[in-house]
Amino acid sequence: MKLLNHPIEMIAVFDIDGKITPAKFRYEDKVVRVEKIIKRQKEKLAGNERWVFTCMHQQNYLYELKYEIDTQKWFLFKK
Amino acid sequence: MSDKIIFHIDVNSAFLSWHQAYYRQIGRDENLLEDYYAIGGNEKKRHGIVLAKSIPAKKMGVKTGQSLMEARQICPKLKVIPPRYDVYVKASKKLRELLMSYTPLVEVFSIDECFMDMSGTSIIQKSVEKGAFFLKEKVKKEFGYTVNIGISNCKLLAKQASEFEKPDKVHTLFPEEVPHKLWPLPVEELFMVGNKTKIKLQRIGIETIEQLASCETSLLETLMKSHGRLIQQYAKGIDDSIFVKKEGLPFKGIGNGSTIAFDVIDQETARHILLSLVETASARLREANLVCNVVSVGIKSSEFLNFGKQRKLSFFTDVTQTLYQEAIQLFSEIWDGKPIRHFSVRFSNLEWSYRKQIHWFNSQIDYKMEALDPVIDRIRDKYGTYSVMRGCYVHSGLEPLLGGYPDDDYPDMSSLL
Ligand SMILES: [Mg+2]
Repeated sequence: MKLLNHPIEMIAVFDIDGKITPAKFRYEDKVVRVEKIIKRQKEKLAGNERWVFTCMHQQNYLYELKYEIDTQKWFLFKK
Repeated sequence: MSDKIIFHIDVNSAFLSWHQAYYRQIGRDENLLEDYYAIGGNEKKRHGIVLAKSIPAKKMGVKTGQSLMEARQICPKLKVIPPRYDVYVKASKKLRELLMSYTPLVEVFSIDECFMDMSGTSIIQKSVEKGAFFLKEKVKKEFGYTVNIGISNCKLLAKQASEFEKPDKVHTLFPEEVPHKLWPLPVEELFMVGNKTKIKLQRIGIETIEQLASCETSLLETLMKSHGRLIQQYAKGIDDSIFVKKEGLPFKGIGNGSTIAFDVIDQETARHILLSLVETASARLREANLVCNVVSVGIKSSEFLNFGKQRKLSFFTDVTQTLYQEAIQLFSEIWDGKPIRHFSVRFSNLEWSYRKQIHWFNSQIDYKMEALDPVIDRIRDKYGTYSVMRGCYVHSGLEPLLGGYPDDDYPDMSSLL
């Protein structure tokens, strides 16, 4: 996977327990549906909190999304 | 003897470590700690200085406070990155929050140092050192940087202990360990022994902490009054300071200064220079979510005479225009019309901006200005420093935003534990 940290537009689900699930996002004018989330974890590097989602695309392709809590921004972190 | 257990937490190479953890988070793979790196002010300017350096850069002779030009001469491979105060302030705050989950008694000493009163806490129940080790690993795993932890039963000795071998270490310095762990060290390793004191002590033949501890107290008192007595107490490992829980601010003051390439002899130029200094320093206040209520202005004449004055405001503010008005008022009170070479402004008596009180005299203009500043900050952040500038700088040949070398003092410059 390549490091990108590219800001993206995202549609996500925030459920009543506060759980966040990315649904689809726009990257390079394409709309990508988030098919499967393999892992979700919170990272706090230097105290800055981001939710990290490791996702699977078309059953064989891994990528990572990050949601930064303070800025409310989404990133395509690795693909 | 006190049976307290005090930890001193010290972030190793704080600005670099934090910057490194931040780089990791945004997916940059430079290794700031293991390569020749420095965090420093504005590179293009001669007043840029080194704020922090990596261990390899330190080995080449790069020092904190050195000009970037000098640092580059000593270490040609040096890479300089501008500071990110927002990142450091957040890192510092989150570290404190984590520490406070282990004991409510956390005393902030500086942006990267805290004392913790661990007496009777659960994590040291089995073993004090294991508790410290656990905490150190917790910080590393959670936040991605390393700390040193010093352990003792007073603040002074805990602080001295965290100064021992770095990075990523736990050390103890209990009173019974003072003779073999502290005394052999050179005297300047002792807290509160700065360069000037070191020279004074060397003149009377004191080179080690042991010599300071055992020398005649009256001799030290003649030489440096109460300070002499204090450092001798410290050398003996005695510190009766009490533990104060305070919710620390990351800075004591935020300041900005600049040496001008020519002699300034007229009001208008002087005002423009002050404004450009206020612009950068107030932006840093806002970036750190702070407000101030003391404004100081300093000038140095071309004959190197210093003049300065400060004033306490009746309210807290971070508004560029308000701070600038105060600055020029102070300036007009101290300037005797002689040519000026150096200007500085400083904002102190800081408070978190969410506690700002609306004061009576706030005019409609102030409200607008207050809303305007963050907008300008964001535009500059996004489109570059010079994307928005004041009309008065057009064709003036002056810099719209001066300084950028932070002249901030941190609480660790405070003289007392
Ligand atoms: Mg440190």
